[in-house]
Amino acid sequence: MGEQSKYLPECPEMGEVVRKLTEEYGGHVIFSRESEVYVEVPRHELRDVAKYLYSSGAFLKTCAAVDERPLNRSFALYHIFGMDSKGYDVIVKVSAPEDDAWVPSIVDVVPAADWCELEARDMVGIELKGRRLVRRLVLPEDWPEDIHPLRKEVPHDFRPPSVKAESEFRPPERGIPIGPYHPVLHEPEYFELLVEGETVVDVYYRGFHVHRGIEKLGESPRFTYQKIPFLAERICGICGFVHSTCAIMAMEKAAGLRPPERAEFIRTIVLELERIHSHLLWVGVAAHVLGYDAGFMHTWRVREPVMILSELITGSRKTYGLNLVGGVRRDIDKNKMEKIMKTLDRVEKEFKELANLLVSVPQIRRRAQGTGVLTRSEARALSVVGPVARASGLYRDVRKDYPYLAYEEASFKVPLYTEGDNLARVLVRVEEVFESISIIRQLLDKLPGGPIMHEKCSAIIPVDELIPPGKYAVAAIEAPRGEDVHFLMTGEGRPYRWRVRAPTYQNIPALRPMLRGDPLADAPLTIASIDPCFSCTDRALVIDVRTGRARTIKLWDGGVGTCRL
Amino acid sequence: MSIMKLLSIAARAKVVTRRYPFEPPVVTEGFRGKIEVDPKLCWGCGVCTRICPPNALTLKKREDGTLVLSYFMGRCIFCGMCAEVCPRGAITVTKEFELASLTAEDLVRNVKHDVVRCRICGRVIGPAVEMREATKSVGGAEAKYYDLCPECRKLVVARGIMTKVGVRP
Repeated sequence: MGEQSKYLPECPEMGEVVRKLTEEYGGHVIFSRESEVYVEVPRHELRDVAKYLYSSGAFLKTCAAVDERPLNRSFALYHIFGMDSKGYDVIVKVSAPEDDAWVPSIVDVVPAADWCELEARDMVGIELKGRRLVRRLVLPEDWPEDIHPLRKEVPHDFRPPSVKAESEFRPPERGIPIGPYHPVLHEPEYFELLVEGETVVDVYYRGFHVHRGIEKLGESPRFTYQKIPFLAERICGICGFVHSTCAIMAMEKAAGLRPPERAEFIRTIVLELERIHSHLLWVGVAAHVLGYDAGFMHTWRVREPVMILSELITGSRKTYGLNLVGGVRRDIDKNKMEKIMKTLDRVEKEFKELANLLVSVPQIRRRAQGTGVLTRSEARALSVVGPVARASGLYRDVRKDYPYLAYEEASFKVPLYTEGDNLARVLVRVEEVFESISIIRQLLDKLPGGPIMHEKCSAIIPVDELIPPGKYAVAAIEAPRGEDVHFLMTGEGRPYRWRVRAPTYQNIPALRPMLRGDPLADAPLTIASIDPCFSCTDRALVIDVRTGRARTIKLWDGGVGTCRL
Repeated sequence: MSIMKLLSIAARAKVVTRRYPFEPPVVTEGFRGKIEVDPKLCWGCGVCTRICPPNALTLKKREDGTLVLSYFMGRCIFCGMCAEVCPRGAITVTKEFELASLTAEDLVRNVKHDVVRCRICGRVIGPAVEMREATKSVGGAEAKYYDLCPECRKLVVARGIMTKVGVRP
């Protein structure tokens, strides 16, 4: 890895952080790129390093556990810290030898590390030292103790023998269970709301019912770099293009190639179209949750032309299949441009009218205002992302903080509210729809000519040779729900490790402070207000949310599989 | 007040729901539906089965000595990558999407190919059409080897050379 200090002088602050990590904490740089630096630190220094980075303004994006035993007989944990205000990532690696597999937990320093640490324990089997609450997050209760699915010796199609449940589900004494299958949830997930009278006093969450092992599948011989975009697109049914683009950005970074400008513009346009349809979908669902079904139906009527437009541009209403490593498969011609402009004009006009109406309905206003409040400091501690962060006064937007694709070519503003309540989250999303419409207009206006596919790539040429093994890459995209992060470690012809952190993964822990102290009747709206996408979140692991309180209540005997929010 | 506003929006929007299936669905010119494989053009080379992300296209060897390119719509994600890579242009992406059926067999389309076997050892060399088309451009001395598998071909050629130079094989 000879390129290790090539880019360092270009970003002085990054040099300062690297100096501190290497000189004071005994770390060494293992890899670096313009906006990423990978530093390995001794594991006993990890907590101090995390404390230093967090206090200097970093957000924890996620952590990724890797079984590196075939390479160096040890396990590794990569903590991805994003310096939002400076626009670069610091990836801190700690190793643990295979016969002594533990790393220190940083949850008390960085609360946002809660879920990803538990996921590392479940999936790779790294023990966490110094953690008060250790539970299963991703794996089901009856999964065998000693099998960690992301270890390399576990085959990708492994199925454990079925076992009889040792404990039976016990209805909680005073909790209100919602899920895993429930009419207000569109995906299986389990919430238990503990109430005193009408007031919610605590929340428990159990997820990962729809965990499909996509990360493991991506490492299996069944897949190649050419096919992974299509797999990544299926992580989410709403923001699939975000995942496929993010996976491809990571691969392109690893390959060191940049797609042609026109392809970057087309990707950006489709990403923004996806944001419009996702936000419209959400506004409709929010109206539906509030019992205002007329609002729901009209919002979805306004959304429909966007879906038809997506099909025209990409070939499908969802799961577009547009992306390949090195570019896109379909061009946007004059005729399509006109149709996009026409549709946007229509959507803008109709949604403006509808949004004004929706927020002026007194019943909606009263139920959304002042409910589900997430304060700025809670939002910061949990490193929440997307509209949830921006409604709590946290200025975070990957499009501005780490400009990617063609976002630097468009001028747009990031809506920011400080109230942190459900109404603020509605307003942020409503405003973002209009910003997205403006971004697409600007980009279409500037759409550069040229090819849409890199000269070295095509559908027929296998890209495997372009992506050398042993490279790292972190890519992030502002999905409709917030920051989506893909961590890639390349292997022979396919990823060695591919870690996906969907936005909802980061936002679910924030539900606990939001729901506590609110009337029970507001809970459905508050749960919906983070725009949860469980399929995204469930793609791989387990979580635990830290609490300052000593009381713990178990949902099941044995307690495994229960997560406190 | 807001009720009146909503009523005016609704009055302008009118009825938007289509009477599908009695009315045709909205399918744009960009839409990708199921694929069709033209058996006259397909050579059975199997490039499409390698690119297919969900393995909806597979190339199977049957016991009766035929090679079958099998398309299972139940797995297809309608990405159209197969049509993009097909060297023969045998695959077309249609706009058909109403594929529901009561039996899984209805969702399978097979293209059968006869195979060519090695004239000496009997091993399958490849699909007959591909062999026939490929050997059209082969003439002269090579033509007599085209129905041999690579191993037997090596042996035959080596024997020929050795006989020529007078070494007994």
